[in-house]
Amino acid sequence: MASAVVARPAVRPQARARDEEVLVWPDLVFIEFVAALVFTITLFALSFLVNAPLLDQANADLTPNPSKAPWYLLNLQELLLHMNGAMAGVIIPTIWLGIMAAFPYFDREQTGQGQYFATPFSIRITVVAAFIGVLGTWVLIFWDSGKIAWALNEWFGLSGGDQLRFLETARSIQNQLPWPEWSKSIPYLPFNLKLLDGTGQGGPTTFQNLDLPGWIVEQGMPIIFMVGLPSLMVWAMWRAGWVETRRDALLAIMSGFIGAYGVLTLSGTAFRGQGQELVFPWDLKVGEGLPGQE
Amino acid sequence: MTVEQPSKPTLADKLYDFMFHNYVWKSVFRTGYPNTPRNQMLAVATNVFLHLHPTRLHRTHVKITHTYCLGGLSFFMFLGLTVTGILLMFYYVPSVERAYLDMQTIEAQVQFGQLMRNMHRWMAHAMVILVFLHMMRVFYTGAYKAPREFNWVIGVILLVLTFLLSFTGYLLPWDQLAFWAITVGTNIAGAAPVLGPKSRFWLLGGFEVGQDALIRFYTLHVIGLPLLAAILMAVHFWRIRRDGGLARPL
Repeated sequence: MASAVVARPAVRPQARARDEEVLVWPDLVFIEFVAALVFTITLFALSFLVNAPLLDQANADLTPNPSKAPWYLLNLQELLLHMNGAMAGVIIPTIWLGIMAAFPYFDREQTGQGQYFATPFSIRITVVAAFIGVLGTWVLIFWDSGKIAWALNEWFGLSGGDQLRFLETARSIQNQLPWPEWSKSIPYLPFNLKLLDGTGQGGPTTFQNLDLPGWIVEQGMPIIFMVGLPSLMVWAMWRAGWVETRRDALLAIMSGFIGAYGVLTLSGTAFRGQGQELVFPWDLKVGEGLPGQE
Repeated sequence: MTVEQPSKPTLADKLYDFMFHNYVWKSVFRTGYPNTPRNQMLAVATNVFLHLHPTRLHRTHVKITHTYCLGGLSFFMFLGLTVTGILLMFYYVPSVERAYLDMQTIEAQVQFGQLMRNMHRWMAHAMVILVFLHMMRVFYTGAYKAPREFNWVIGVILLVLTFLLSFTGYLLPWDQLAFWAITVGTNIAGAAPVLGPKSRFWLLGGFEVGQDALIRFYTLHVIGLPLLAAILMAVHFWRIRRDGGLARPL
């Protein structure tokens, strides 16, 4: 067929009947004016009532405890507590932004645009996926903070004993299991990163050693959770017949992301106290620690 | 059969004529006050600010619950931040010695200084939230679909720029909150494999947050990033028009 290599079917916005139209002036301009007015007044009122914070002058010798990034980055700071720093802080956000930017190239179906929830099960998918994102993220945060083990112990008197201690947090998988010595230092590629450190001269080529238990906890498990759980969710929704199109799959993934992102931001902002311990927002105090002690 | 006669002009009509049908007004706006469909369309099409809009649009697009005005409001925040930001620039010097004192001066001694600073900060927070909500709106209405794919990509870049604008502004008050937030934030960037330490050094102009970091953040905050964002916004808005306005069902 000659039509095989058409990059995009030529869909032009079709002509519309005049009686479906309104004039930008006054209909739209009026709405925009009111919206701008409402925001101006609200922000003025807010600015009269609440002052922007200004703490003591910056002091490199006095580290607040906890030290926190601006609130919209606290989701990353929360992730950072649970996995390898490079992954949480840079690799995952970069990959996710790339995935988001690629949405329209994955979902090329043109129907259903300009409408909320155009596919049959879209509302269900959105609600359930967001719920899973919220709940799943909280569960993982609680687990990795040892709160689930603590609650089982404290409230229900359940104790796994030393046999199950490795399930307490993510880190205890590394610390509490009898990993053989060799697994903590596995030589792999003679890959010399010193070539890239800017000095231009590589050091002696040495084998890099992989700490397998550490790698599993810091990178392996987070990857499995973050790729596996959403995939499992989409697969389950597909099997259940809810996800019929790529648009549905994106709805599930994006809604799950928004749920998880919201929880990470909230927990990083309002539930992380001194030493980044999980506390209730009303117990949140900022003290002053020594440099590096956060 | 009675033919309707034009009524005698009232005082209001005379006032209207005096205000809008005179040589000076027409030199500025060309049309009279836009009170006929023709003049209303002309007013939109011939005004440089309004001509971002089409002259007519589909009825569903003025339904508040379709867009919640989120994109427009994000832009409005950008404009408001530009205005308050310029006012703050009159009083603020990005030097480690002066920055914090200037903040105190702005708050205590400049007429409406505290208000200006508050507005700038709350609008910045509002912009981050509005941009994110706008992205959600566009996603949930499927408005990223063809032919608007690339405009969605530009939107993602603008989202990142919004975060960066807010982040670079965060350091400027030079108080403990600013200093440590940026220290933590740039440490996150520094954790990147291979390029991390280099990019952190490049961002801070040194190994820790100091004068060099302050001047870099300031320059990025007041000119570099806003310029980039403005260019991308122009493309963003232009493409909305070229792609036939807001997405709507086929």
